[in-house]
Amino acid sequence: MKRVLHTLAVLAVLGLVAGGAVVGLGLYNVSARVGHMPGVSWVMHTTFRNSVRLRASRPKDMPDLSDAALIELGARHYDTACRTCHAAPGEARSATMAAMEPAPPHIETAVQDWQAHHLHWIVANGVKMTGMPAWPAPRDDDVWPVVAFLLAVQDGMTETDYTALTQLPEADAPMAYCLGCHGDGGTNHVPPLNHQSAAYLQASLHAYRSGTRASGIMAQAASGVSPQALDELAHWFARQTPAEPVAAPQMPVQLIAQGRALAHAATGDGDVPACAACHGPNARDASELFPVLSGLPAPYLEQQLLLWRDATRGGGRQAQLMLKATQNLSDTDIFALVAYYATLRTNRSDADE
Amino acid sequence: MSGGLIRTLHLGSTRRTRAPMLIAPALLAACEGQQSALAPAGSDARVLDDLFWVMLVGAVILWLLINGLFFYVTRINRAALSRRFANGLIVVGGVIFPTVVLGALLTYGLSIMPDQRAPGEGLTLRVTGEQWWWRVEYWPDGADAPIIAANEIRLPTGQRSEIVLDSARVIHSFWIPALGGKMDMFPGRESRMSLMPETPGRWRGQCAEFCGASHALMAFDVVAMPLADFTAWLQMQAAPARPPATDAAERGAQIFAREGCGACHAVRGTEARGAVGPDLTHVGSRLSLGAGTLKTTLTDFERWITHTGAIKPEVEMPAYDYLTDTDLSDLAQYLKGLE
Repeated sequence: MKRVLHTLAVLAVLGLVAGGAVVGLGLYNVSARVGHMPGVSWVMHTTFRNSVRLRASRPKDMPDLSDAALIELGARHYDTACRTCHAAPGEARSATMAAMEPAPPHIETAVQDWQAHHLHWIVANGVKMTGMPAWPAPRDDDVWPVVAFLLAVQDGMTETDYTALTQLPEADAPMAYCLGCHGDGGTNHVPPLNHQSAAYLQASLHAYRSGTRASGIMAQAASGVSPQALDELAHWFARQTPAEPVAAPQMPVQLIAQGRALAHAATGDGDVPACAACHGPNARDASELFPVLSGLPAPYLEQQLLLWRDATRGGGRQAQLMLKATQNLSDTDIFALVAYYATLRTNRSDADE
Repeated sequence: MSGGLIRTLHLGSTRRTRAPMLIAPALLAACEGQQSALAPAGSDARVLDDLFWVMLVGAVILWLLINGLFFYVTRINRAALSRRFANGLIVVGGVIFPTVVLGALLTYGLSIMPDQRAPGEGLTLRVTGEQWWWRVEYWPDGADAPIIAANEIRLPTGQRSEIVLDSARVIHSFWIPALGGKMDMFPGRESRMSLMPETPGRWRGQCAEFCGASHALMAFDVVAMPLADFTAWLQMQAAPARPPATDAAERGAQIFAREGCGACHAVRGTEARGAVGPDLTHVGSRLSLGAGTLKTTLTDFERWITHTGAIKPEVEMPAYDYLTDTDLSDLAQYLKGLE
């Protein structure tokens, strides 16, 4: 018995010395040119696939992933954040990327065999020791646009489709990139910017850049330019004439009325602060740091209110006000407020009521 | 050298006296002052005070009798009692005497209860327990809209006022020890009580049911005033807010609007119509701030606005710690001016 223990102890010491030598003396060859020893790639890749399958759970509610606006948003984010490594549909990977170890798979190959929730998990979490980064924000509901895009790739998106989706509008350099998503009155998931004040836009852009307002997509966008450029962008967007009011979305009249009562503190119970005191309509005396809500797209408003209520949303120094203000909102309250604000017409001076 | 010695002696004496100095005021405060059931200032509290003393004296007499008897049979007369006497003692001392005494006390006690809910003589107050403050509505006889206030109860002396109690989310308990008994406040159920203050003066009320993190800081001021004074005061409360009187207050009013304070607070006569927090129309003339927590001085207004959560844990109002010193001082001027 004693001899066995002795042997084990000697083996343990030898093992430690050997491990120490590998790390301390640099005996292991980290060259990507040399690649892995036989079998290692298979072990790591199989581990990756099984780990994703074990951890990715089917979420209770997914957005409609066939929504064209969601696919476009995902495609535009992919174009700046992911294309460098995974290439675009119909495009070859650059020689440098193909020389990575492991080489990032071409996007058309990468999306095969995975379901939406697997793709969501991979994009949100990244993959260790492969160069695949995690989502650059502590929330993962904004990963869905990318998943919608990846599913479209799975369905055989062509190079022409991709180019059309990610084309930038005619404008000067940094603005063109912003206008790709925020131009033409935005979409259901992206707010238009040209009826907000410069102060609000500036605070928001800096919050995205510093991470106090979490968004993987906007963190990527805001980290691409200098802080001075962010200030210029904020002022440029605030100067643009508000888009022609589009037809208000169809909402149940009763829900709108309920939202109006809540927003103007006319319900009689003291659970929810009057949104209108800061966000209008007609809040002419309120701080410019409070965004105008009238006419913002309903899905965007709903998502933001949910983020506030879940305390996932941040922003400038005033964010603490909204965190308190939204704590007592019920789901119905949120739907009603969204219906009210989404159907108000867009106007910076809010002279619409 | 000698100075050091004196300081040492002085410190020594402070240390020795600290404990009694801390305990003494706490003990004394329980018997008199702003918040004591033993210093009644209203007819209801006096009835309860009488009940307390009757019960206490009775209990002391009974205690002496029982222990006297026990002492007698164990130390003075240790001989066995006759069976006849013992039986008689059990029947008289164990059945008849307690029945008569307890019956009398119960009759007396129950006879007091209806008075605690006697109908009012005109004025009705509606008090809603919030976390952690008091929403107060005054409904004078025949009024069709209330006069709204907060964290302060004023009542006319010599007249019985009815108080309707309600709660927003959790159970609270409304208690003004100097004026009467306490009554629980339930969400979704009205409870009623009435109070008749007799002596004009100022007292303190307190939530008497644990209701969350800041339960201990859920107090209110109570003022009993002669009817004429009360009517004048109520008339003043019914009026809309006075416009800002100084430039600083005027800037403060703009900051109040700019920061969206009106989302939660109403200032009647202005755009501010929020109902989440206390009505601030006459906050400058109130006796306390933050439901009996701070005074309504300029400094305390500033402290409250910037340190809500530190002063009152988990309070709903966010801390406006990002305001500049000038903004803060202007805002405090405006609020203090809302008399």
